Formats: sequence, structure tokens, C-alpha cells
Amino acid sequence: MFYWIYDIPSPSLAVGMIALFVGIYWVGALIVRPVLRQFVKSTAACNDVVGYVLSCFCVFYGLLLGLIAVTAYQNFSQAEANVTHEAAALAALYEDVGQYPAPHGQNLRWLLRDYTRYVIRYAWPLQRKGIVPVEGTIRAQAFEEQLLSFQPQTPAEEILHAEALRQFNTFLEARRMRLFTVTASIPAVMWYVVILGALITIAMVWLFDMKFITHLMLGGMLSAYLGTMIFLIAAMDNPFRGEVSIPPAVFETIFEHMVEE
Amino acid sequence: MTLSTAPLVTRRAALRSGSAATLAAARRMGPLLVAGCAVAPSTRAIPIGLLHSQTGPMAISSTPVRDAQIHALEEINATGGLLGRPVEFTAPDSRSRPNLFANRARRLLEQGAVALFGCWTAESRAAVIPLVEEFQRLLFYAVPYEGGEASRFVVCGGQIPNQQVRPVLDWLQSAAGGLRRRVFVVGVDDRSGRLVAHLVRRWLAGRPLQPAGQMLLPLSLRDFRDTIAAIRDSGADCVISTLAGNTNVGFFAALAEAGLEPSRLPVVSTTIGEDELRNLRPDQVEGHYAVSAYFQSDSGSANAEWVEDFRREFGFDRVTSDTMETGYSLVHLWADAVRRAGSVATAAVIQALRDGRGYDGPGGRLVMDPATQHCAKPCRIGRIRADRQFTLVHESPGPIPPDPFPSVAYPGWSCDWTKGGLVRGAEVKLDGDL
Repeated sequence: MFYWIYDIPSPSLAVGMIALFVGIYWVGALIVRPVLRQFVKSTAACNDVVGYVLSCFCVFYGLLLGLIAVTAYQNFSQAEANVTHEAAALAALYEDVGQYPAPHGQNLRWLLRDYTRYVIRYAWPLQRKGIVPVEGTIRAQAFEEQLLSFQPQTPAEEILHAEALRQFNTFLEARRMRLFTVTASIPAVMWYVVILGALITIAMVWLFDMKFITHLMLGGMLSAYLGTMIFLIAAMDNPFRGEVSIPPAVFETIFEHMVEE
Repeated sequence: MTLSTAPLVTRRAALRSGSAATLAAARRMGPLLVAGCAVAPSTRAIPIGLLHSQTGPMAISSTPVRDAQIHALEEINATGGLLGRPVEFTAPDSRSRPNLFANRARRLLEQGAVALFGCWTAESRAAVIPLVEEFQRLLFYAVPYEGGEASRFVVCGGQIPNQQVRPVLDWLQSAAGGLRRRVFVVGVDDRSGRLVAHLVRRWLAGRPLQPAGQMLLPLSLRDFRDTIAAIRDSGADCVISTLAGNTNVGFFAALAEAGLEPSRLPVVSTTIGEDELRNLRPDQVEGHYAVSAYFQSDSGSANAEWVEDFRREFGFDRVTSDTMETGYSLVHLWADAVRRAGSVATAAVIQALRDGRGYDGPGGRLVMDPATQHCAKPCRIGRIRADRQFTLVHESPGPIPPDPFPSVAYPGWSCDWTKGGLVRGAEVKLDGDL
């Protein structure tokens, strides 16, 4: 949901998120607060009561935000690890098949190079849109077909072929993991709870009996930080989307080496 | 002097200025927010399809053509696309199966592909042509073939026999070709092989060079000792080969084993290019010949630049070949026609293709003949070198106009898409064995 936010540059998104929450707080302070205050105005020491309830609420909400932030970061780190793992397996495989006799080795290397180029040029932009790229599978199949067609003639070739097959399976596994994480994100229901919690926090602060300017300042700061936290989680969520996302840098490094060799 | 007890900001004042600020911001930001939600029609990508086998036996030949076409499309997009829109390609895998070619082509056309580039074998071509005719979109076919194809929706860019085999016959009997007098034809036993053998025999009627024999062999054959013995026994002093794929490996190995040196029995192949040479041993093929419209080693700055660009993108050990060059040039030929037509509509593009401007590709100018929708191509003959490249030994004076229905094979047939299309003559009957 709200995937369009990933099309906005990160600094603008951060500022926008903060402005949104501060705006909600300020508008509410102007319009909603006088109404809400009717419920607590007659209560003695209403600020103490609201303060206790807010503290209690913030413990739960803080925990939720913290856990979600950690989950988003873990998803991001896992996706990054998958990418690195795939690139490492790809590089190792490229070295292995380079030892095959010509033209088999050359054909295999060309196919791996083609795969790497596709990942950088075409798969990554699709991943940034949350689309799982499909043509990489064709390239992996083409490589597999060529690899399996090789008939080792010597014991050394047999060992090499066995190692290449093992490395290829490692590569396939890492590749599959990367594709799984393209659409990995925090479930929508969690986002609903986060947003509801933020709104309740803001609403509770409206209940405080303070000077109007103090309300704008203190409530504004709290809302700004809420906006920052939610921006952070949103930016880390969907590891391949937006500016704060995993770049294809490891594949680019390998491809440069492959092309220049 | 008394201090004022009035608040710095009153709720009423804040409400008033806040409303004004919100309205002003909405007026400025509104279009920006809305713009992010929709794509303007002018920036929608132009979809096209690349229809190649990326797995299966044909993959090794087709994949380099796909790469060359991707390279062309990237060049087009890097310079702003077509008509202000990017060109977006989809390249499904047809797995070397004709039925999958039809399946993939239908899907691409249903998804709105305005043109298809690809196919290799006659079967794949036959599977796709009815679909491009049904959807009225264009198929650009880059592979040299036996001729005889006629569709308003197909543009053939590869050489056909009158641009390839006939000039080879002329060259073989010339002083430059060694004044050869007896030619043996060896090929794969398919329509293409049979047609070339038939054409050679008919074209040689009354000429100094005479047919010495022919052998059409299964694609799966690996032992060519009988073939070599037949060639030796025929008294041939040159061979024209249409053998394809791995049959070349066994054929040239047997030829070398029999001690038939290229100086004594040169073989001119219609199917060997730079890519195929990677699978052949240089010591077995060096000195033999190949006929093509393009060689990677062609001199010329446009070719050198293209080879360099391609290698920079795909790797410095990659080779370029005739089919790749044609595939690449066909994409640019279509793109230039779209620019001139100002539209991707098939009728407008065909009209623009017919204006004879063509595209200056790495191997020379590629121009579509409006009558046959085949391209005029030069004929180049190259001697195979030890470094798996070619030395040019013969080049036609200019591009040779296409004749996909030579009268010696298609009596009474003609094709002119500017005047009603194909006129069928007598049923085509190919000669049996010589």
C-alpha cells in the first residue's frame, strides 16, 4: 500500500512525512482540541490523568514501533545478504566455468555475463517497482542447459564439473531468495496499527491543558518525531523500492570484471 | 508601562493564517501530487517483442542476435526513444520449438507489441507469419534463408540465394576464385538444402563451372567419411556447403583427416560465421571460405565503432556476425521508419520503409526493396584465418537486389507488394539427386 511514496526522493519524503504529522497535530489543535477538551475540562488535574494514560499508551506504542523498525531493518539486511550471496556465488561460478575447455567455457561465461547484465540493467529497475523480474529465469535456464550438456572427459574435468554444479545450485538458491524478498514488506495490518497509534498519541496530546503556543511547539515536536520514525520504517520496508534500497552495486562490480577480462 | 497579557498566537489568528497557508500550498502542490499518480500518454513506452530461442538447440545461434537487437534498442532509448517515447521490449524464450514461437508471438501481439523481431528456422517463421498477418503487425526476420517467403507483414533482412550462392558460383569460376570447373554441393537434407542444390544446378547450366555431385545429409550425422569419399570420387575441385550447426564440426574434421587441403579443394560455406568458427578447430578450417554480407573484420569505421560498442557492453571476447549485424540494423531500420512515419502504425511504417532511405548499418546500407520486402545485400566472400576471423577476398560491386522467387526454381512466380503482392506460377518442383 502507498507504494507511490517510493517514487518520492527520500529527503522530500522525510520532510513531507514530518510536515504531515505536524500539520495533523496543528490542525487538530486548532479545530479538534476545543471539542475534545470538553470531555476532560471538568476533571481535576486533567493533565496528570492524560499524562498517565499517555505514558502507558506510549510504552505499548513505542514497543510496537521499535519492533516494526527492527523487523524492517532485518528484512532489509536479509535481502542485502541474499544479494551479496547471489553475487558471490555468481562470481565463483564464473571462475569455475572459465576452466572448461573451449568453446564450452566461453559459452558458459557469456551466458553468465548476459545474466549479470540483465540483473543490473533490467531486473533492478523492475524490482524497484515491486515487480519480480522473469527474464532472469530464462537466462539461468539457458546457463543450466549449457552446463548440463558438458560431458567431462578427464577426472580433472569431472571434479571441476561437480564443483560448478554445486556452485550453480548455491547461486540458484540465493537468486530465488532475492526474488522472494522483492515483494517482502511489513503486512498492511501492521501499518494500520502504527498509523492508528500515531493518531491516538496525537489526540492524547490535544487533551493537555496548555497555552496554545505551547501546544503548537511541544505537540509539533512530538509529531515531527513520530513522522520521522514512520518515515524510517517506510523507507526501510520494501528493500528494493525507493532511494533507501539495495543497489545492484555488487553485481556491477562483478560485471565490470567480466567485461574487461 | 504595562506588559501585555494577550497570548502571542491566538487560536482564531492561527486558524485564519493556517487556512490561508493550506489553500496556498494546495494550489502550488496539487498538480505535483496529481502528476505522480498518472503517466502522461506521450511517455508511454512503445512495446515490441524479441522472439528468439534462448534455450534448446537454436539458442546458441539466436541469443547473439537477441543481444545485438537489445544493443540497438538501448541505443535508441539512450537518444530519447521514438516519438518521445521509450521503446520497451519483451524477450520471451521460444525454446527452439515452433509451437512455442506461435504461443509467445500471440501473447506478445495481444499485449500490444507493435513489431516482432526474431525467428530463425523455417518452421518458427511459418508458425509466426499467420499471427502477424492476423494482428497486422510487422515481423523483422534477420536470418539468411532459402527465399520464397512472401507476406505483406514480413521484412526479410538476411541474404537469399541470389545474393549469396549465385555470386559464389561466379567467383569460383573466375581467376580470383581459382578457375574452378567442378563443384560439389553438400548440405542438410531440408527444404533449404534441396533448394540451394537445385539452384546451383540450374544456374550452372551452360557455364564453365559444372556440378560434380550433391549430397544432402541428416542434421544428426557425425561421421562424414563417406561424404568425403564421394566428393573425392566425383572429381570436384570445389565444394559449396550449406551444412549447419554441429555437422560442420564433423565435416571439416573428416576433410582434414582425408588430407584435402583448401588449396586443392576449397569449401565455401553459406552458414559459417564468426560464432560458428568458435566451435571449429582453426587448423581444420583455415584457408576455406564463407560467404556472407558482413564479416567482423570488415574495414570501415562504422563497423569498428559498432564492434567496439558491442564488446564494451557485452564483453571484449564477444564476436559479431552477419545475422547479428542484420538483426541490429533491422531494429534501426524500423526505428528510422517510425520516426519518418511519425507513428508506430503498421501501414505508416511500411510506407516509410518503402521510401528507399534505408539505414546505414555497420555492414553497409540496409534498404528494403518495396516490391519483395526483402533487403538489398552485398555479397562478401571471406577466407577463414587461424584467429577465427575472415580475410575478405571478394566483394560484390554493390548491394545485390533481392530475388526471393528466382525463375529457375519458381517459374512464373513474382512478388510486388506495391502492386497487389504475390503472383503464383507453376508448382515448385525441386530436382532429385544429380
